[in-house]
Parts: sequence; C-alpha cells; structure tokens
Amino acid sequence: MKVRDVQHAVLPRTTAEEGSRQNAVVSLRRLLNSKVRPRNVGIFESEAAPAFAERHGRQPQSHEEVREAFLMSPGYRMWSAANRSAQEMIWVSVGEPTYRDLERMEQATKELIEADDKLGSLSLDSSYDPSPEVADVDIHLQPGGYAMNRSDYDVVSGALYECGGNVFSFGQGIGRGDSKAGVIMRLLNEEFDGFKPAKMLDIGCSAGAASAAYPAEWPDVEIHAVDLGAGMLRYGHARAESLGVAVHFHQMDASDMRFEDESFDLVVSHNLMHEIGEEKRRAMIGESFRLARPGGIVIHQDVAIRNQPTLVHEIERDWDTHFNGEVHWNTYATANLQADMIAAGFPEDNVVEHDLSALHGMANNRWYAISGRKPI
Amino acid sequence: MTNQAQAIAALIESARGQRPQSLDNREAEETLNIALALLVELSVANDRIDRLERLVAEMRGEDVATLRDIRYEGEVAEQRQDATDALLMRALRVLIDPRAQANE
Repeated sequence: MKVRDVQHAVLPRTTAEEGSRQNAVVSLRRLLNSKVRPRNVGIFESEAAPAFAERHGRQPQSHEEVREAFLMSPGYRMWSAANRSAQEMIWVSVGEPTYRDLERMEQATKELIEADDKLGSLSLDSSYDPSPEVADVDIHLQPGGYAMNRSDYDVVSGALYECGGNVFSFGQGIGRGDSKAGVIMRLLNEEFDGFKPAKMLDIGCSAGAASAAYPAEWPDVEIHAVDLGAGMLRYGHARAESLGVAVHFHQMDASDMRFEDESFDLVVSHNLMHEIGEEKRRAMIGESFRLARPGGIVIHQDVAIRNQPTLVHEIERDWDTHFNGEVHWNTYATANLQADMIAAGFPEDNVVEHDLSALHGMANNRWYAISGRKPI
Repeated sequence: MTNQAQAIAALIESARGQRPQSLDNREAEETLNIALALLVELSVANDRIDRLERLVAEMRGEDVATLRDIRYEGEVAEQRQDATDALLMRALRVLIDPRAQANE
C-alpha cells in the first residue's frame, strides 16, 4: 500500500487552487533543499568562520561557537529565514483546506468509528495527560502540536500531520512511492529471512499511515498502534477503516505501555526517537524489549541525520532544533542508541544499525534504523 | 460553514511557542516572509491562467502553444505597454519617491 498521497474519507478535499498552493510550497522547498541549503557548509568556510575569527581572533571550535559563526553569515541567515518561512507555509497550505472542510471530515470520522462492522478499534484514555515534552511543543511547527484534541470527533492534528507530511516530504525530494513501513518490510525480507509477525506493535504511530500499511501487505497480522494524541489516533483509526484495514489504536505513553510482557512478534517505531527526550527514549526502548516475545524483533526507524562527517555538518543539520520546533533533533542525532538497546536487554552481538535507501525518490534519500532480536 | 479567511485564521491562531528570527532585522525578515508568500500566490494565479488558456484553446480548436504565441502590434501593443509601465510604477513606487529619508 502507498502511504503518501493516499485518498480516503477523512482527508480534506482540496480545491484545485489549494492543490496549486501546496505544489508551489513543494517547489519552493525543493529549490531551497536542492540548490540553496547545499551551499551552507561552503558558506561556513567563506563567510561564517572568517566573521567569527574577525570578532574573536580565533576559529570557532565548540558546538555553540560553530552555531554562532553560522549565524554571522548573511548567506546562512537568508537561507534560514526562507526555510523557516517555507516550513510555516506548509501548514498554511494544508491548514486552510483542513479547517474549511472540517465539518465534513468530522462527520465522516463519526460514521467510520461508530460503524457496527468496523475492522479495527480505538481506545482513548481520558485520564491520560499527554506528555508535555511532546504535547506542549509545535513539533516541526505543526500548529497546535501532536496532542491537540478540540472535540469528541476532532481530527485536525492527524489531518495536518498527514497532509503537511506529504508537502514536506515531496519538498525533500522523497518520492510518492516511498514508505517507511515498506523500508522496514524490505529490511525484514533481506536481513531477517522474510520474517512475518502474527502480532505487531507500532509505537508513536501519529496519523497511522505506517500502521495501516503493514496489514495492507500482511492481511493476517494483528497490529496495535500507540500514540499520545487523541486527535491523531481518531484520525488514524478512521483513516484505516476508510482504507479497509484493521488496526487497533491505543492512547498510551510510549515510555509506559499497558500491554502484557512478551505480547508481540515485531515491535517498530517510525520517526519517534527524534521527537522525545533522552529519558523517555530509553524508557521507550526498554518497553520495546519488554513487549517483544522471545525471538521477536524490534526495529526503531528514524531520519538519517546521524553520523555527520564533521562538526560543521552536524551544526548545519541542527537547524531544526532552533528554528523548526524539533527540540530533541540533536539529542537524537548524537545519541548512543546501541548503548540504549544493550541497556534495554538486547545482546550486544545482535544490535545492528542500518543505513537504508528509500523505496522511491531522489537517490540521496536515506532512512536510519536500529534493530535487535530478543533472545529465545 | 467556514470560509477561506476563517480557515486560515483558525490555523494561524492555533500556533504556539516563539518565532526565532534569522535575519538581523525583524522588518526585513517579515518582508521576506510576505515576498515568499506572494511568490507562492503568483504560482497559484499562474495555474489559474494556464487552466483558462487551455480551455480557450480547446474551445477554439487549436493548440495551447499557438494560443500562447499570439502577439499584438499597434494600438493593442501600446495598451499592454502602458499597463506594464503602470504596474512597475505601482510596485516600485518607493524607489522613485522624491522625498528624502527623514532623520529621527
């Protein structure tokens, strides 16, 4: 199943003009990413470091000094201002059709999640107070954040996440045929002898695109998906029902999930690690070990921003921490995830980091994953 | 029923946190944001013109490239030139404003 650009009942119905606007933002971001941003590291040498040296009488050394130097460069500042503006326009371009079409979307959601013959389920926990380190931040500037929940049938956060994610991804050069779930299924085929789970868990599922892609490929799998946002989960549930796949959605914290030990053959997370702090990440990885059955596989997939060749490259990538609401971006980029996996209980010799090519899109689009297998 | 302006306002008003600035000057940064938004809107308007051109070409039974290659001379060309000159005068008014920069 495709996960990007999928048509379903809860998606806002965009007008031709709104579609033109989203395409224009994609084009603007594609130009910034392919033609302007690649100059930043060179600009550091030609503008930033000399400006720093003139002010301080020496070259920048530390993380903070390299960042200070970057911000002394007119070329970097102009790119940064334009990139922030383009990121904000993503949300305007998808937010207008979402709020304009919201009445219909909420009605469609109500009908799908209250249908007698639905395939999956939705379990919301009204006593759960979404973790503030995620809920209180407009991550990647998504207005209202991941945990926004405006009413009993609210789906705004899920719609913004899916539609904004598409505009973002296409502007990164990620192809319409790419799929994070597809990348993990390919990894299981190639590195784990075509392992297919009977029961699996998707932690931090957001709008449920990956969660729905697994049962579309493996019709017999029982899949459970966890997130902290009620609006996200409601949207993901209605989306999956509209697409005709069974997913069981639960509102839980990734660091403390209410499932029995050793419940799942496969535990995955997609793009979760960079959205949470160090303590919660370690607890989440610990939970993934606890919930895996003996012989079960755990794969945490995320963005490929780790292992930058120099400090200058690392700070250039760290833009998102300061300008894009990705407060844990660099924490993730520089974390020792192998140590986290081993501390959770995985044997050292079966924890593997993977540099994965995307299924579709520009050749330089990669995904990161770390896997471990629970001993029998 | 939510109209377009209400929908955009709902989105804008739901944003939280602070807005870090990249440029030295806040006015310059905000002007850049407006210019980029207008660039996007120009692209939207170009798509609308393109749709109309294709429809007109279809109604005339000709290729859209033929329709786009229509050129005018004489009085019509002069009218277009006047309109272009006026557009530039409106857009670049501040560059030809005779008043000197006021001191504080």
